[in-house]
Amino acid sequence: MTEPVWGPVHQDIVGLLADHPADVPAVVDHLTKLQDLLVRLPPLEESCPLADFNKLYLVITSTVLDGLYDDRFTDPAFLARLDVEFAARYFDALRFWTDSHPSTPKAWSCLFQRMRGPDARPLPSAAAGVNAHINYDLPFALVTTFDSLESEPVDASDQHHDYLEINKIFAERIPELRRGYLDHWQLMIDMVNGDIDDWYQGELVEYTRNVAWRNAQKIWRCRHDPEARECERMRLDDNAALLGRLLLSPLGAFLQ
Amino acid sequence: MASDVDTAPLVGRADTVGALRSALLDDVAPGQTAAVFLTGESGVGKTRLLTEVGERLRDAGALVLTGVCLDIGDASPLHPLRQALRRLDADLTEARTSSAVRGLLQVFDEETPGPDGAGALLERVSRGLHLVAGGRPLVLVLDDLQWVDRSTRQLLLYLLAGLGDLQLSVLAAIRAESLQGAHPLRRVLTELRRLRSVRVVDLAPLDRADTDELAAAVVGAPLAPEAADQMWRRSGGNPFVVEELARDLRDGHDGLSDTLREVFLARVDALPQPAHAVVHAVAAGVEPVEHWLLAQVVRLPEDQLIEAVREAVAHRLLVGADDGYRLRHRLVAEVLAHELLPAERAALHRRYAETLTSATAELHQARLAHHWRLAGEPARALPAAMAAAREAERLHGYAEAHRHWSAALSLASTPPAVLPDGGRPEPVEVDRAELLTHAAESAHHCGEHARALALLEELAADPAGPPTCALHIRRARYLAAAGRSAPAEAEYRRVLAADDCTPRERATAAAHLAELLLHLGRYAEAGDQAREALRLAAEVEGTASEVVLASAALGFSEAYLEDPDAGLAVMRRALDTAERSGRPEDVACAYLHLAELLTGPLNILEEGVVVARRGAERVAELGLGRTWETRLLAIATNGLFRVGQWAEAEKVVAAALRHRPSGADAVELLLARCRLSVGYGDVEASDRDLEAVATVLAGGGARHVLPMLILRAGLAMWQGRHDLARQAVQRGLTESRSDDVIVLATLAWHGLRAEAEASASRTVEVDPNAVRRLREVVDRVAAKSGKAGAPVRYVADAFLALCAAELSRLDDGRGDPELWARAATEWDRRNHPYPAAYSRLRQAEALLARRSRVATAGKLLRQAHRTAQSLGAVPLSEEIRTLAGRARVALDEGTTARPAPRPRAAEPAAPTVDELVVLTAREREVLAAVAEGLTNREIGQRLFISERTIGVHVSHIFDKLQVRTRVQASAIFLRNRAE
Repeated sequence: MTEPVWGPVHQDIVGLLADHPADVPAVVDHLTKLQDLLVRLPPLEESCPLADFNKLYLVITSTVLDGLYDDRFTDPAFLARLDVEFAARYFDALRFWTDSHPSTPKAWSCLFQRMRGPDARPLPSAAAGVNAHINYDLPFALVTTFDSLESEPVDASDQHHDYLEINKIFAERIPELRRGYLDHWQLMIDMVNGDIDDWYQGELVEYTRNVAWRNAQKIWRCRHDPEARECERMRLDDNAALLGRLLLSPLGAFLQ
Repeated sequence: MASDVDTAPLVGRADTVGALRSALLDDVAPGQTAAVFLTGESGVGKTRLLTEVGERLRDAGALVLTGVCLDIGDASPLHPLRQALRRLDADLTEARTSSAVRGLLQVFDEETPGPDGAGALLERVSRGLHLVAGGRPLVLVLDDLQWVDRSTRQLLLYLLAGLGDLQLSVLAAIRAESLQGAHPLRRVLTELRRLRSVRVVDLAPLDRADTDELAAAVVGAPLAPEAADQMWRRSGGNPFVVEELARDLRDGHDGLSDTLREVFLARVDALPQPAHAVVHAVAAGVEPVEHWLLAQVVRLPEDQLIEAVREAVAHRLLVGADDGYRLRHRLVAEVLAHELLPAERAALHRRYAETLTSATAELHQARLAHHWRLAGEPARALPAAMAAAREAERLHGYAEAHRHWSAALSLASTPPAVLPDGGRPEPVEVDRAELLTHAAESAHHCGEHARALALLEELAADPAGPPTCALHIRRARYLAAAGRSAPAEAEYRRVLAADDCTPRERATAAAHLAELLLHLGRYAEAGDQAREALRLAAEVEGTASEVVLASAALGFSEAYLEDPDAGLAVMRRALDTAERSGRPEDVACAYLHLAELLTGPLNILEEGVVVARRGAERVAELGLGRTWETRLLAIATNGLFRVGQWAEAEKVVAAALRHRPSGADAVELLLARCRLSVGYGDVEASDRDLEAVATVLAGGGARHVLPMLILRAGLAMWQGRHDLARQAVQRGLTESRSDDVIVLATLAWHGLRAEAEASASRTVEVDPNAVRRLREVVDRVAAKSGKAGAPVRYVADAFLALCAAELSRLDDGRGDPELWARAATEWDRRNHPYPAAYSRLRQAEALLARRSRVATAGKLLRQAHRTAQSLGAVPLSEEIRTLAGRARVALDEGTTARPAPRPRAAEPAAPTVDELVVLTAREREVLAAVAEGLTNREIGQRLFISERTIGVHVSHIFDKLQVRTRVQASAIFLRNRAE
């Protein structure tokens, strides 16, 4: 037989993925454990491209968790559900990948394929993960969340307000994360450029997240029609995969 | 060879078959439910496995019902169940079961729309299934569950939650591909898979050895190594692919087809003309296509038709069963889809539609609408779509009805196609406003609020639409249902200001507006609006509903504004009005609001319970037992629980559950019963109810999650699982709204209690982060409750008293007796003996830990013990006895203290035999603690004696047992412990 997908940490990852976290504290716990495993994955170990994304996601989710505890959101039930549903899709993609299943979303597999190398720069890697997660997973997570809360994606609602609040979390977190990736040489460029890059990256996330909200509304309207829903899913997957490959191509290195 | 169709053996699934049989039958306790959801890619053998397991369960004495969900998304509500019953009916030989099946099928035929229709239908269906089962375990096998309709989904959850009072197992197959994206079942499965009674089994493809075995079985001999390698590569272990490729190999077609698609293409090409026509006809139909229907559509003489069908079956493109024909696989449909010209396909649909027009069949109207639409004749599809919508509404399937109404709307605006004879069909004539009205109303009923509002806008633009005032009222109703309060308020205000509104419409709007304002916490405005509504209603006859609604708003607003007597008087008058001139629903509603007012904000519990029970009797007389009686009894149960009449509460909740309630009413009652079970310390019953609640909530209604989490934490605490209690509390804190002060206060208390007890019993480490967060929550609740209405503050303060006392336990490890005394007083004042007794226990514990006022502690313990005993609160009583034993306090006058009960966490049993006889009871207690590894200091804290005294005890123990170390002493203790 061929070597297991996750090499020496295969059993650990399979064991971790067998569990389905039910609330935000459990999601954070899961991401933390996953991070510890990913950085042990040869050949790239510390510079595993998926670990770059996972780390970013962990930081964002921990901030969301703090926000939930600290009364930051209007409708925590909504945001907590959304967070869990959102994460569930990432874990699903990992599960599919673990089984070498043909259903692994293309948006994700382009990043997963790079785990064995060649090495990619941390920022484009994290961005490719963010791309898959926001452009592909988020609209579906939104639809499922609204469905289970017996509510709807309505602009200017409490839920929309909370959803937009996450953009602020991205904006707060991305500058420091971004610097975390930089070595000396890049730090110099950053000092020269000021915060322009940070601004650019923040805008990108915000823009993408609004697209996700619109896409969720679109899927919401056809969610009872299996054919239309599948069509929409494939469209999102293809688009996200296209962007993901671009980010991971040599061109993406310019981002960094 | 038609006979050779299903002869390939079932390879590599023996373990799964066995496991499924145990999960669905052997391991299911009488009266319980179980479910297995089988997921897997298409072709992996789900259907085959369903059949095999179904047969085995039938052989083992179960009654097996088998249904298939359909992919024409606009089917009829509960179709899979009705189809399963019809199939069973066709196979039955026993007269008794047969009449039960027909009786149940008749229930569907005779159903009429009405209030609480959906819930009542669930009850009738479960009673019908009970008769059908006739004492046998019932198994419901459903294939293609990814296409299940909403009504069937709700029925499954209802039955699995045990609400139907039926021993039932469900075995369902779901295509894994479908669960990607936003499929509604995704979330349901995620929730259900956490339950002990549910398993989600992912059916993997075969491994290499099994692939070889299956291929060899089909071919009749082992494959050559090269061919076997190729088989493995091409099939990836998918048994359907293996079987089909192996057949081609056996028949000498190898090398022609690389993919399954090519296999099927080749087979279709090889078909003789009539068989070709048959396969295309089935592909255009709604499966299963009945034989008589197929005959009409392909227009072949009987003997030729049978010959053609045999050919198609032999080529493994078609399968036949008693109820009709199906394509062998979805891939066949995909291959065929590219073979027909659009005109040919339309012609087939036309023939279906024409045939079905003059004959009735399953899903008659839905199929007619489907075929006429695809035949390009919207005018003829339209009446069928409308009939299908009405049919769905009759069975309370508003989601399905909405889809049919939407289809009707789009049909009404589709230009008719040119007929084959070149003529133009009649243009569609329909009342568009009527269609819009129905579509909007059904959307409103199935929770599609945005869609309902959009349809209403279209209706408003329609010249034949309703007058403006009626539109405002409906818009406000839809907006309020969608939780969009601000625009809803604006709409109600428009009604009140509009000139064309009648006085009755104004009274209605005012009453609803008052209710809305109350929900928004704007009590003063709600009160003013309610008075206005009552004034308007007084001028119009027959406005009892408005009076009840407005009175409730006024009553609650007065209560929140601290004039309870005035509020109560208003609500009592409303009940009189309802009794004199209202509909039965008005009477029920008035009783409900009065009982809620008394047991809620006014906290006049005994009277509230009396009103609720009297109301329950009254509404049962009025014929509203199922909905309103259960709601009133839920209020009574919760009231009785709080005043400490648990035995009575238990009777009431059992009576309410006999109505087999569904949805939120069921959740409310299950939670009430669970609260009692947690108090009694009945872990099994509590778990069962918590699982049932989770099952119902998997279908939606996540807003009920918080009370469930609180109970989960409470139960975990009695089990010494403080880590689980912490988890439940953390989840609760991250999911509750900041204005939900009472829920937050309750959660904070549970969280702090879990940490304090974890610290005292050393089950888990105290989580300083969790404690910090809980402190923050307590501060926030204190700040917010200061600003909340008096009734909210009243409840929150009592919980805050508990929080403060638990915090004192965490701070110094002993707790502040003054704070516990205060908590006890707070709960006494609110007439809730259970938390008061708990507070006394802790107060006594704190006093004993300080070794001060031991007599007071004894008195407190005796008082708490009496309360706990009279409630039947087993775990609380046990804890009181443990403490009394450790402190040597006699709980019953005249008798001495019982020997110390075991500490719960470690559970070492009391030593009984020889070597320990020499020790005194106290020395044995000390030794037990030594064996647990505690230091003298820790033992002193536990037994409320000084460290020095423990030292003396230990040296006596060493002397008597003739040992020199704690390890040796522990060894003797463990050796002599009774197992």
